[in-house]
Amino acid sequence: MTTPDPAAPATVVAGHRLHPMSWLFELIAQLRQFLVPLLALVVFGQGDRSELWPLAGVAVLVAASLWRYFAFRYQPEADQLVLRTGLLSRNVRVVPYGRIHNVAVDQTLLHRLFDVASVRLESAGGKKPEAEMRVLRLDQALALEDLIRHRGATAPGSGAGEPSVGDPTAGCDHPESMATSGTVLHHLPAGELLRLGIISNRGMVLVAAAFALVGQSGENAARIFEALGRWLFGWVDTSAFDTAQWVVAGTTLLLAALLGVRLLSVLLAVLQFHGFTLAEYGRRLTVERGLLARWRTSTPRRRIQAWRMQEGVIHRLLDRRTLKVDIATGGGQEDARSLRELVPVGTPEQCRALVAHLLPGSGWDRLEWMPFRPATWWRLFWPSLPLVAVATAVLCWRFGAPGLLAALWLPWAAFKARRQAARMGWAFNGRVAAFRTGWWSRHWYWAELDKLQALRVSRNPVDRRLGTATLVLDTAGAGALGPPLRIPFLPLRRALALQHRLAGELARRPLRW
Amino acid sequence: MTQSPMDETAPEQAQPRTAPPDRTGDTGWRRLPPAARLLFLLDTGIGLAIAGLVLGGLAGLLASWRLDLPSPLPPVLQGAATGLLVLGLWGCWLAVRQYQRTAWRLDDKGLSVRRGRLWWSETRVPASRVQHLDIQRGPLQRRRGVSSLVVHTAGSAASAVTVPHMDAADAEHLRERLSRRIEDDDDA
Repeated sequence: MTTPDPAAPATVVAGHRLHPMSWLFELIAQLRQFLVPLLALVVFGQGDRSELWPLAGVAVLVAASLWRYFAFRYQPEADQLVLRTGLLSRNVRVVPYGRIHNVAVDQTLLHRLFDVASVRLESAGGKKPEAEMRVLRLDQALALEDLIRHRGATAPGSGAGEPSVGDPTAGCDHPESMATSGTVLHHLPAGELLRLGIISNRGMVLVAAAFALVGQSGENAARIFEALGRWLFGWVDTSAFDTAQWVVAGTTLLLAALLGVRLLSVLLAVLQFHGFTLAEYGRRLTVERGLLARWRTSTPRRRIQAWRMQEGVIHRLLDRRTLKVDIATGGGQEDARSLRELVPVGTPEQCRALVAHLLPGSGWDRLEWMPFRPATWWRLFWPSLPLVAVATAVLCWRFGAPGLLAALWLPWAAFKARRQAARMGWAFNGRVAAFRTGWWSRHWYWAELDKLQALRVSRNPVDRRLGTATLVLDTAGAGALGPPLRIPFLPLRRALALQHRLAGELARRPLRW
Repeated sequence: MTQSPMDETAPEQAQPRTAPPDRTGDTGWRRLPPAARLLFLLDTGIGLAIAGLVLGGLAGLLASWRLDLPSPLPPVLQGAATGLLVLGLWGCWLAVRQYQRTAWRLDDKGLSVRRGRLWWSETRVPASRVQHLDIQRGPLQRRRGVSSLVVHTAGSAASAVTVPHMDAADAEHLRERLSRRIEDDDDA
């Protein structure tokens, strides 16, 4: 995506510098990388007056950070951003605005103290961002973001096959009216944050991590748990408990733990999603969120590759859904800062309206879902058979006859499989391809036709016996779990016909990123 | 790898390069040239043979410990030989099947690749979705006049679709055809 600029004069040093304090943030980023070796020096260097070594290491890093600060220049031009790095071996990088998929402005607590922000520019593919500016003054960062937002939308010939006709509002609004010209598409007030915390259960991850950490510390772990037990039961005489009292105490403790984890989740949701705002500026979508650290990320609407909507059990109890998208940027999926959640929680009506707004004319809410054969339930059910058999065997071996209770999972699994088979469906209306699945926890996946890449029909031995196949519609930017549009259990002829039809449609349309 | 002993044993060297028509009945499917069979044998057969060697040796070592044998060497050697033979033969059989089951087709829509039997798959890459193309030619592939074509897309699961060991001239032809489509799209 970047091209070296041979015509750039090496002697002229023009352009803007980073913020004077940027060496500090560069240093912190470096320290994070070198944290382990530095700690090792501190721990293993004890005894022979080598406590100064880590300090020497830090001094080197400070020097390197200062060096980088003095060497870095950036120069926004009419349709591209020119970055110069290096004092001895000079490096010029030219990034056309039209190729930038994602602009992220981050502010941690420390950034806010100095009123600065770090800016990352990401293009499609690659593991590293195209450019990272650590750090700029906040108003400079926002001005740069704004510039890319507008120039990227109007830059001539930007991106392969970019539609030249489009949103008439793009590029018309002025930088100073940035805060007001956007349309807010979704906002999370306090009540919604509470619901998000309850639904997301992020606290569980934290608790699990804490347990893992404590478990690592070996003998200390036993002592910690013992102390915890004494603290919990110190005020009651547990030796006098009978069975009923044990059950009551256990249940109470379990409920309290669950409540505590949910409270933690709510706290995390407030920290991460406070002031969540999804806004639309011309053709770009911008998400802003965070209580202490602020994240702000901005991406063109047409860079959305695939969509997924989720409705779990707690979602359903609270009448909410979650809407997420895939964006093809370097390492974007692993990075929590990229734009992924369009609607962390919202009512089904809000989600529907947002999809209708962002995918106009896609007919997403009027899809004709094609059902699967009722016998499909068996395909969903049978993988739980060996699992339940193993679990029952282990429990019987350990506890005797009561272990057989584990087999009660089977009727539930069968019931769930039947309901899921009845709800599963796929759809293709000429503009979007979609797949929905799940009954207890429901998922919808869809992607625009233009965003599909390769099409694969595959069969495993079970498919071969039953004459079915799986159709995978590959999209860019999908995470480690693979592309979302993986339609299983299709009759082979139907899968091949659909693949044939989609291939024909795709061959006629140029790729639009 | 200038003079591989494998080359003397290959009877297909003199045969014509044009692949026989596919017998699945679909039109336009092209199978791989006979020269590719040896490379499949090397890829799959040798890999599995080495795996068999290691696994058999380990099994022999384990057995000698369990049975308290005086010397671990004979069981290890026996195990390794058995593993080499069994997995090597299976690998050769598998390689021949893979060779027979791989086919490709170029039509007005793009490139299609079929592979496998038990785990069968047919991947289609529409010509408009090709990002870039690689032709890989190892020393042995060069000697036998074949090359592997790798078609890269922007996707995630099928981001690189490979046609292994296809005829070198066909690979060049495919690259020409597909890259011409990319240029056309960019001009549009």
